Amino acid sequence: MTEPGSIKAQLMPFVMENAQSKGINQVSDDDSLTASGIIDSLGVFRLVSFLEETFAVRIGDEEIVNDNFESVRTIEKFVAAKLAAKGEKAATR
Amino acid sequence: MDFAWSEEQQAFRREVIRFAQQELNENLIERDLHEEFSWDAWRKCAKFGIQGLPIPQEYGGGDADMLTTVCGLEALGYGCRDNGLIFSINAHMWTSEIPILKFGTEAQKKKYLPKLVSGEWVGLHAMTEPMSGSDAFSLLSRAERKGDRYVINGSKTFITNAQNAEVIIVFANLDPEKGAAGITAFILDKDTPGFTISKKLHKMGLRTSPMAELSFVDCEVPVENLLGKEGGGQTIFTVSMEWERICIMASHLGAMQRMLETSVKYAKERRQFGQAIGNFPPISTKIADMDIRLETARLVLYKAAWLKSQGKHALREGSIAKAYVADACIQQALDAIQIHGGYGYMTEYQIERELRDAISGKIYSGTTEIQKKIIAGFHGLSDVPSAAPARREQG
Repeated sequence: MTEPGSIKAQLMPFVMENAQSKGINQVSDDDSLTASGIIDSLGVFRLVSFLEETFAVRIGDEEIVNDNFESVRTIEKFVAAKLAAKGEKAATR
Repeated sequence: MDFAWSEEQQAFRREVIRFAQQELNENLIERDLHEEFSWDAWRKCAKFGIQGLPIPQEYGGGDADMLTTVCGLEALGYGCRDNGLIFSINAHMWTSEIPILKFGTEAQKKKYLPKLVSGEWVGLHAMTEPMSGSDAFSLLSRAERKGDRYVINGSKTFITNAQNAEVIIVFANLDPEKGAAGITAFILDKDTPGFTISKKLHKMGLRTSPMAELSFVDCEVPVENLLGKEGGGQTIFTVSMEWERICIMASHLGAMQRMLETSVKYAKERRQFGQAIGNFPPISTKIADMDIRLETARLVLYKAAWLKSQGKHALREGSIAKAYVADACIQQALDAIQIHGGYGYMTEYQIERELRDAISGKIYSGTTEIQKKIIAGFHGLSDVPSAAPARREQG
């Protein structure tokens, strides 16, 4: 069950609409988004824009790697780490 | 919004123009005719700091932000008439230095960047193949892991800097079953057995920039020469193209200004029917159009550069700038030739070369059609998933 307002809850509509446009109706947390073609090279940049705008984080060029965007789970983990780092930065100001 | 360059950037701009005008334009008509790359000019640019502009100081670079880099490259495009040299420099910076800087290991950065920045080594990337141009990720080159090495086989075409390069970033598919997700980047040294420059290519424009086809036959590279991660080639390529499309077009802005000024001067000096031709509306209107074109081209390109300087992504804006400036530069050259009449068509006046050079802007780094495909993709059109909203204005 996805918690409303969670990272995953905000992420899934984006992922599912991309998946459905490729004829894929179900995406599990560990499915490879790149190997399945749900996210291609341009799609990664659109995903990055989506994450930057939705979660107010900055994603550097060097962070755009498969490890971070391979699956729903890795994206969720990556965003959580970005938000935590952002929180720590704000707390130290 | 701040549309002004800082005092430091203005001083830098003036210095680049002075350097370029004094040092980089020798024997250009002859060199263009004979397709001669100028090593002397290349080394002078490196010594001045052009090749290392955006690279951190710890690797010998100038640590310039994106806007300052664009400022410098625009000035270079204005002062240096050798558009081929500028093209080679840009290919070197955005397709070898930036991928290594952004995705390389610390050992790779230390090994390659200082020599690429100093100009001692020339870099390139090998992506395009005979059967994969605009559809770049359908490439047929293959890589296979064998123990502590990768073995690369394939052929590449339209490779800028090929004859001069020491460092080759080659893209090959390590896992074809994954499709484009198998594309991987490797750093290859030019002396690797099995690597050859198979055929020199001749071009309509940018003739002082070398280009060739490359062949890779059982080329073995050690695992430490993997750039980024296995399957990370698509992203590396796209990131480097985002940089290249913005920065390479900055030099076109400089060339466009040069063509405008040359045309204004000629329109004031050339007399027909008893007066300067610039007094005739068909000419003065053309001059005004050239000015409008330059100004608007600057705006779209500076916007993309500004986004990058803010640490934001600008794939869409870079594609807009690339498509717009490429068209604008060609029209600028056509107008300049028309204003100069028969003289503009003559090699001696060095305007016809501007047109030949400008046309390539619609082709390299992704054709104008591909830029529009990318832009449409951000609106959920084309073959790109339609989920995301059109990118909001950033700022």
